[in-house]
Amino acid sequence: MQNKIISTSNSIRLQTKVIFPVVVLLIMGLMILKSTSSQVPFFDSTLYKQIIWIGLGIFAFFLIQYIRVQVFYEYAYILYGFMILALVMTYAMPAISGSHRWLFLGPIRFQPSELGKMILIFTLAKFLSDRRDQSHPVHTILLAFCLSAIPALIVFKQPDLGTAIIYIAITVPMLFWAGVHPYYLFLLLSPFISILAAFNLIAFYLWIGLVILILIYNQPKLWVGVVTVLVNIASGTLSTFIWNHLYPHQKQRILTFLDPMMDPRGAGYQIIQSITAIGSGGFLGKGLGQGTQTHLRFLPVRDTDFIISVLSEELGFIGIIVVLIAFFGLVYWVVTYARFVHNHFSSLTLVGIISMLFVHMSINMGMTVGWLPVTGLPAPFISYGGSFLLTSIAAVAMANNIISNDI
Amino acid sequence: MTVYKQNIRHKSSLLIWVAGFILLLLGYRFFELQVVDYHKYWSKAQSNAVRRISVPAQRGIIYDRNGVSLVDNSPIYDMKVIPVDVTEVFNYGLLADVTGLEETELREKIRQGKRGISRFRPLLIQRHIGFEVMARLEEYRLELPGLIFSQLPARVYPDSCKLTHSLGYLRNITEEIIQHSDTTLNYRPDDIYGAAGLEMSYEAYLRGRDGVELHTVDILGRDLGVLQQENYYPPVPGSRLDLCIDARLQLKGERLLAGRRGALIAMDPVNGDVLAYVSSPDYDLDSFVGPIPYDLWNKWNTDPNRPLLNRVINGTYPPGSVMKLVAAAAALKYKSVSPTWTVNCTGSYVYGNRTYHCWNEGGHGLVNLKTAIKYSCNVYFYHLIQQMSLEQWASMARAFGFGSRTGIDLPYESRGVVPTKKYMNNKYTSRGWAKGNLLSFVIGQGDVLATPVQVAQMINLIAQKGRTCKPHLSKDIMLTPFRLDLKPSTWDFIQQAMWEVVNGEHGTGKSSRIPGPAVVRGKTGTSENPHGEPHSWYGGYVTLPDGRMMTIAIIVENGGKGSHVAAPMAKEMFQLFSDLYLTSG
Repeated sequence: MQNKIISTSNSIRLQTKVIFPVVVLLIMGLMILKSTSSQVPFFDSTLYKQIIWIGLGIFAFFLIQYIRVQVFYEYAYILYGFMILALVMTYAMPAISGSHRWLFLGPIRFQPSELGKMILIFTLAKFLSDRRDQSHPVHTILLAFCLSAIPALIVFKQPDLGTAIIYIAITVPMLFWAGVHPYYLFLLLSPFISILAAFNLIAFYLWIGLVILILIYNQPKLWVGVVTVLVNIASGTLSTFIWNHLYPHQKQRILTFLDPMMDPRGAGYQIIQSITAIGSGGFLGKGLGQGTQTHLRFLPVRDTDFIISVLSEELGFIGIIVVLIAFFGLVYWVVTYARFVHNHFSSLTLVGIISMLFVHMSINMGMTVGWLPVTGLPAPFISYGGSFLLTSIAAVAMANNIISNDI
Repeated sequence: MTVYKQNIRHKSSLLIWVAGFILLLLGYRFFELQVVDYHKYWSKAQSNAVRRISVPAQRGIIYDRNGVSLVDNSPIYDMKVIPVDVTEVFNYGLLADVTGLEETELREKIRQGKRGISRFRPLLIQRHIGFEVMARLEEYRLELPGLIFSQLPARVYPDSCKLTHSLGYLRNITEEIIQHSDTTLNYRPDDIYGAAGLEMSYEAYLRGRDGVELHTVDILGRDLGVLQQENYYPPVPGSRLDLCIDARLQLKGERLLAGRRGALIAMDPVNGDVLAYVSSPDYDLDSFVGPIPYDLWNKWNTDPNRPLLNRVINGTYPPGSVMKLVAAAAALKYKSVSPTWTVNCTGSYVYGNRTYHCWNEGGHGLVNLKTAIKYSCNVYFYHLIQQMSLEQWASMARAFGFGSRTGIDLPYESRGVVPTKKYMNNKYTSRGWAKGNLLSFVIGQGDVLATPVQVAQMINLIAQKGRTCKPHLSKDIMLTPFRLDLKPSTWDFIQQAMWEVVNGEHGTGKSSRIPGPAVVRGKTGTSENPHGEPHSWYGGYVTLPDGRMMTIAIIVENGGKGSHVAAPMAKEMFQLFSDLYLTSG
């Protein structure tokens, strides 16, 4: 058994509780793509391509069921090494619309950062399951963040802010699942939240109040508490101070640096159109193919980043409820299964997978409703897009494999 | 510090709670946008994608009294190109040939248009092309991708008679006009409006009401066609305007005055219908289809013949001997003299230190009121006027409608002048009023000024014995009576005198006589003026056996004697009228 990639003894079962929500989301995505492709010949349409990708995804899904999961535990660091190498190699490749995201192997275009999401999950799962008996949470936290920060920095410079956020974001719930007290995670993350909160004074005061409350509740050593509060206030004031003393063009430069794919016609434009599309959909929606915002092209990137806006416009609040419930079902069942999986690596992998999908979905939705800046993260299973769709299906396939074989 | 060991059940439920909470927050946000603020975003989406397109109403067509169309609508076109749709197959050479533009210029213009966001917006290539050019280009649609035409309303003049000054013309509206116009006309920028003549008088009537179509547009502003909705309303075409003009008489009048400066107006005295309305020289109404080239407008404005002047209502002339009829009426009304009162005309008359001449240097001998009118003897009237006051004469002139607007349905009519003592004192402070002025006034000279339409109106009163209607071009107008109460014997006397002028031996108006059963009565006039030859006047009317009548007033500027120039023109008009209306019954 050892070192074999394929396990013929795997039981192939469909975990309907996990698969069903995914199928719902895929179907909703196809419905919307059918609507947005209505003016295009079928064989040129994104609908057609999405169906091909889903077909490939289903094939991959069944292949993955035969994989011996532990192989990823054994080879995690080697894969991690290859991933870093591949990510670095993208810089040697020609840029497409200003970013170095792809490797070109003859005619095939390959985005290593996409596969990297899964590899990072395996790596963190191996690292955290190995260290679960260690008694230095701070070391664990720092090392785990190092593991995710290295690829995150590389993709951030590609530049691909969205993927970098994903790499960092999946680390937090995995650390939590590995047993790190949320208090430490909180201490670690609070200065970053302070910087963000500082953009709104009331939010900042509330946040600092919350920090103090949490510190009091956890009764740390006095110096730890004082330092935490001071660091938070300092990072908050520093961010506003610096920001306020920048010239507009410098602010713009920073914003552009953070998000180079920002629409050239103005950062607010896409968001305004997206919110208008969503709001005008109303409770029941305008009906498939009836969305004026969508079909008159007021809405940008409607097949990928803003597909949720199209869905809201055409299927209404009802459609969004269906999406949210389906996605919550997926989260609920994957986390619940993760509880019962005996193997720590597998359990952590499940949490990593669901975190990755969840962060995608919530950031995408937050973006379409104007709560988060435009980062170009697609909505899992709904958005059109080959490699991310394959990644998502592969992740679910892996979850299905784990649940079927290790429960 | 120890690794916090927590029950795995707590950890999983915390994760689920956090995830659930975030999804709930997102759900709330969607609820806020889609349910709470639905109406706000719905209307925002509507205004995003729906554009109100004004559909111009067809302007009313103008017909003559027999249903001959005088003014019709014919669209003209602006030719535009949507640069982004122009492909390699675009035939620049063909477009250059048809439009007369430079091919290289066209290429450059379109090439520049292809840059930037404006490449989706129509680029104007040529304004105001006719239907024929448009149709020719439409044939080659496949070779001219991206070429579009936008339609503009314009007027055409299908009949051969021109009616230039009475019809008037349309102009592009200006912001100033919009602000000063009646809001019910609902003008918008780029509209056209009646700026002169009947087009102006009957603007509200002819204009109609523009409709509205809701069109769907995409983000690039491209029109995706009509959006059917209940708040769409179609354009209401302007009402047709039927004129009293008889195109045949009109054409005759225009031909008679062609090449001369002058005016002619023919009317039905019974109801004030204007049958012909000519002011000469005129200008080309077709030039008003597009913007008038500056040099053309300039040429019209500086032309010494003043083609833009509407002589029928704005030409103020000394009426000359035609005015003697007023003096005769006043003399009979105020019994200044009896019809048998005679004067010996020797050809001149000395009043004060000035000698006043009769037109006939040899003198007319003994003349009474009737023969004085017949021969148009000035000396008789020099004597006559001294038997009455200025006030008596002036009030009679005003009663005949001189000195005030006739109320014809055209804008900017002139009043003319019936002088009073006050007027004379104001005008000539140094000399002021002198009784000698009366001697000029009575023969329609000096400061007396009248428009041709006022002269025609006077003839109307005479023909109808004081019961006529105000002149009007539109047939659909409510008739406004215009009356002058004099004794029937007075009217009979004037009519007889006018009969003598035309039909009597040596009458001054004999060249307006026509053979046959129709009877012509008239009065000639020859008004001196400082610009050269005297103006030639004729005022008179024809009566057909069935009682139908047509009055006419003609002035030919610097034409010479009324008896020689204007009267023969009147004859032609009378003859045509009698031919048309005697045979048609």
